[in-house]
Amino acid sequence: MEIDRTDGRSPNQLRPLACSRGILHRSHGSASWSQGDTRVIAAVYGPKAGTKKNENPERACLEVIWKPKTGQSGKEEKEYETILKRTLQSICILTINPNTTTSIIIQVVHDDGSLLPCAVNAACVALVDAGIPLKHLAVSICCCLATCGHVILDPTKLEEEKMKAFAYLVFPNSINSILPEGSSHTKSKQLEDGLVTSVTHGGMSVEDYFHCLDRGRAATARLSDFLRKNLQSQVLGEGSKAG
Amino acid sequence: MGDKSSGMPSTLVDQPVVPGDVVLDVSTLTNRAIKLGGGLRQDADLIRVTKGGRLRFSKPNKYWVESSQMRYVPFVEDTVLGIVIDSKADNFLVDIKGPAIAFLPVLAFEGGTRRNIPKFEEGTLIYVRVVKANPGTNPELSCTDASGKAAGFGPLKDGFMLECSTGLSRMLLSSPTSPVLEEFGKKLSFEVAVGLNGRVWVNAESPSTVIVVSNAILKSESLSSTQQRIMAHKLLEKVH
Repeated sequence: MEIDRTDGRSPNQLRPLACSRGILHRSHGSASWSQGDTRVIAAVYGPKAGTKKNENPERACLEVIWKPKTGQSGKEEKEYETILKRTLQSICILTINPNTTTSIIIQVVHDDGSLLPCAVNAACVALVDAGIPLKHLAVSICCCLATCGHVILDPTKLEEEKMKAFAYLVFPNSINSILPEGSSHTKSKQLEDGLVTSVTHGGMSVEDYFHCLDRGRAATARLSDFLRKNLQSQVLGEGSKAG
Repeated sequence: MGDKSSGMPSTLVDQPVVPGDVVLDVSTLTNRAIKLGGGLRQDADLIRVTKGGRLRFSKPNKYWVESSQMRYVPFVEDTVLGIVIDSKADNFLVDIKGPAIAFLPVLAFEGGTRRNIPKFEEGTLIYVRVVKANPGTNPELSCTDASGKAAGFGPLKDGFMLECSTGLSRMLLSSPTSPVLEEFGKKLSFEVAVGLNGRVWVNAESPSTVIVVSNAILKSESLSSTQQRIMAHKLLEKVH
């Protein structure tokens, strides 16, 4: 029951990932993330003093600006901004720097499917680059449901348009812990099994949705490892000059 | 490198860590008093990492995450370079690249009285010491050392200021002297003030000296000591 994908990938196979940190010299944190041909650049500025008008001054405020590849920002961009803001708010520790604003600017370089997950991943790396305190990292993936009922990961734009339904899923990353496996810390177990954000388009049955979640969660283990290796390689470069 | 599949690492000290990693379980420690530095947070019984970097430990009980950022987290007794934004009746408002604007009391100068308050224009660069730095509040600064003497604090005139990362500032202030400063110091005469908040001020007689030293400092962040010396020699040959 194999499904044929135009670029010859298997249903669970992700496109080649590429990530670089610190690419913009003037921003306080920046990252570029690409999955296949989809590429997004994220820049973080902050934390800067002062919050916006209707925001709670006892917490840090996050502001997301989404810049499309061409044309003006419209409703679609506003929707992406809101989704990204809520996702990043749940991974940042907002009580550490009260009454500050952190701006995250997302620039779409090329959109070839799975754009929002790519942006979430880029924003997460940019936040780590800027040193914003985070509870954990976020890894994001797009799962779609074909008409025959198969679940496919990381679709291209053409595949996304042909699908019956798709879901953008954001999971917490897998953490390194000094605790022994199977320890009695239920809280950390809940953290790893959690779901940060889920955005769905189209209609799918409940079983299909849970199937998507399982496939997505399994794939995020690979994404998590890639993210960790990428963040560590930067640290190792500086490690040789540690004071 | 802490591979999960081969079993849990016994310790993550001196390893690169990312936000979310659990580094300590307080309930299993014999000595319950530990000091947490930057980048670590207590979450019930677990100590979790909040910033990406390398975990460090110094005896007897201090843990912290070493990382290099473009923004600064104020800490007491740090010497930083601030830029005056505004002056109020009691304080100067100074930007030190932190999450909140810092206050410099108008009397915090050697022999400072109400009669001889210094006049700092907006944009003045000053070398100051952080006196108070509590989370959520505005840090307080001072232009005197602990005993009340000026000790080099105060406005910096002329010269050129460049912005760098906190990691580069710490490297420039490390002892033994940073290779790039040492090599340039042998041939050229210039003065340098390094703020731990990621600002460096360079001054010299001729602009070309200032330019070559500033560029060398910025480039030295990603180089090892031998590479820094080689780069310094190459640049010095071009200048002379």
